[in-house]
Amino acid sequence: MATTKRTGGRILGTIILVLVAALSIAGCATPAGDTSGGGAAPPKEPVKIGAVLSLTGSYAGLGAPEKNTLLMEVAAINAAGGVNGRQIELFIEDDATDPAKAQAAAVKLIEQYGVVALIGATGTGQTMGMRGDVDRAGVPQVSVAGGTVITAQFDPLVFQTPWSNSLVVPFTLERLKKDGVAKIALIADSGGFGKDGIDVIKKLAPDYGITVSSEQLFNAGDTDMTSQLTKIKGSGAQAVVMWTAGKEAAIVASNMKQLGMTVPLVGSHGNARREFITGAGPAAEGFTFAAGKVLSPDQYGTGSPEYKVATDFIDRYTKQYGSAPDTFAGHAYDAIHIIANALGTVDEVTPSKLRDAIEQTKGFVGVGGTFTFSPTDHNGMKATDLVTYEVTGGEWTVLK
Amino acid sequence: MGVPELLQFVVSGLKNGAIYALIALGFSLVYSATGVINFAQGEFYMLGGMVAVWAMRSLGLPLLAAVPAAVVVTVAVGALVERLALRPRRFEPPLVLIIITIGVSMVLQSLARHLFGPDELALPAFTPGPSVVVLGAAIERQTLWVWGLTAVALIVLWLIYTRTKLGLAMRATAVSHDASRLVGVDTARVVMVVFALAAALGALAGVAVAPLTQTAYDVGARIGLKGFAAAILGGLGGPVAAVVGGLVLGLVESLSVAFISSTYKDAIALVLLLAVLFLKPSGLFGRSSREKV
Repeated sequence: MATTKRTGGRILGTIILVLVAALSIAGCATPAGDTSGGGAAPPKEPVKIGAVLSLTGSYAGLGAPEKNTLLMEVAAINAAGGVNGRQIELFIEDDATDPAKAQAAAVKLIEQYGVVALIGATGTGQTMGMRGDVDRAGVPQVSVAGGTVITAQFDPLVFQTPWSNSLVVPFTLERLKKDGVAKIALIADSGGFGKDGIDVIKKLAPDYGITVSSEQLFNAGDTDMTSQLTKIKGSGAQAVVMWTAGKEAAIVASNMKQLGMTVPLVGSHGNARREFITGAGPAAEGFTFAAGKVLSPDQYGTGSPEYKVATDFIDRYTKQYGSAPDTFAGHAYDAIHIIANALGTVDEVTPSKLRDAIEQTKGFVGVGGTFTFSPTDHNGMKATDLVTYEVTGGEWTVLK
Repeated sequence: MGVPELLQFVVSGLKNGAIYALIALGFSLVYSATGVINFAQGEFYMLGGMVAVWAMRSLGLPLLAAVPAAVVVTVAVGALVERLALRPRRFEPPLVLIIITIGVSMVLQSLARHLFGPDELALPAFTPGPSVVVLGAAIERQTLWVWGLTAVALIVLWLIYTRTKLGLAMRATAVSHDASRLVGVDTARVVMVVFALAAALGALAGVAVAPLTQTAYDVGARIGLKGFAAAILGGLGGPVAAVVGGLVLGLVESLSVAFISSTYKDAIALVLLLAVLFLKPSGLFGRSSREKV
């Protein structure tokens, strides 16, 4: 009797495990690009492009819209006949917000699938983790992460679509200087993006007559930052500058309100997420950050080419996924279209010719701004592509 | 540094400490009944918060109903984990069971990602309102809930342990499974109840913390590690040891930010853990509390 009962439990357990495994595989499987669409077989072999995104881990909220965008845009490019008659085949790998896994994913995409270009990674640390293999294989990489190191530690093969910290930091410091702030405190995550932001701020702050009175770090997954903020509170800073793209940003805002701190909290383009506003609730009010105009395309001027590109993307994304895209979706849009444009100009698709063609990108109007790459500038954007947003009434508004 | 600032660091440390304590309680409960470290304990914490948010958003339940619902669902998951994943292998050495719990935690985490999505989710505060200020230190109202729930959990556990037949059976099982069965204790059922209790503690921590930090499918692993460290610090003994372990860990982290550097706070906490294990391998309360129970 007892044995039968136990066997029953084991069978039931096995069934559930198999179900769960099936579910996980269905969700994680490499989603290939739409190559089967259309009746006739494509006349030429598809072009293979790989993407390394953080679909799990602390940047999962960034990787998801990036994946959505890549799938939507590759399907759109292929539906319109592909590039020079060749379809794009997309391979997406998850790096779990881990530089080591990003590196492994890059190897897999290059060696196993033979991709001619890489998109990603989502995070700065992950992007840097891929560099060794990008260099070894000579494959061009278009990163969607915002750390300055990505293009400051220059690599001819590596490009970047978000506004890098070396662009956003001066823009932010200029604004602080204009508001009469002379003493700031820094709080950032201990990962690639946060540390990079702190380094750039400390280097540039003296140029704006600003001193840094306290510098605090937290780790991804921390549940409380009141200790760090208590240190900041005692340092006499006139503003708190936060540099992180993780979900901990909302905790920082809430903890500041809880401690009764009245100095303004200034963030970065890493905080342009709805989840920050819902997570911090009333504590998000008055929070400012610099980001591109995609959150408010009116800023481009109605009818301008930039406006058309941004609103067309926003409309299609909203229709397909039920919510408006954020800035991270925009970075992925720019990455795939910069590659697709470059593909259109090469006579023979090889990684090195594609790299040269990407470097030739001039005046490309994307969602994040207008890109002009050169042999020395692989970020390609200007401070005029940025505006300052303020959270008021639970919404982003442009600060004049 | 003034008194209000110092007090603020202590408040912050005790707040994190209470969370670690609730997780550590779950670890030591399961350990004392089975000799197994349940690495799925952090996932119970994650499930508590996620199910509460889901119950409010998708089922439209009010917070007052969503919180107990989340605890009940997690308790059911805890009992099922024991019944389906561990009981069929209960005569294997503890190492096998520990590895099974690691597998269970992976399954629960990926299941949560599929069901609830990859984004962080927010739960409203139990009692919204400005912080309570005591001697210049601000205490969030939700923190008072965390402390209150930890105290209640500790008292209830202590009552179960000392005043009920179930508690007697749990203590007997902890000493020896074979001897307990000889005198008529259904040890399999006791272990299942222990898992359910551990799940309840995890879920309670998860829902109490979600309004402070938001929650996501992947919060379990890290908090599980902290709770495990707290449990080891306390010596994997009785409930009081686990709670003290949690509070000490939280305080050390917070005070290292105050007096050393926020960069090294986790490292300092781990060094302390190692130091304790070197000097007193059975943990802060190791031997004495084992004998009492």
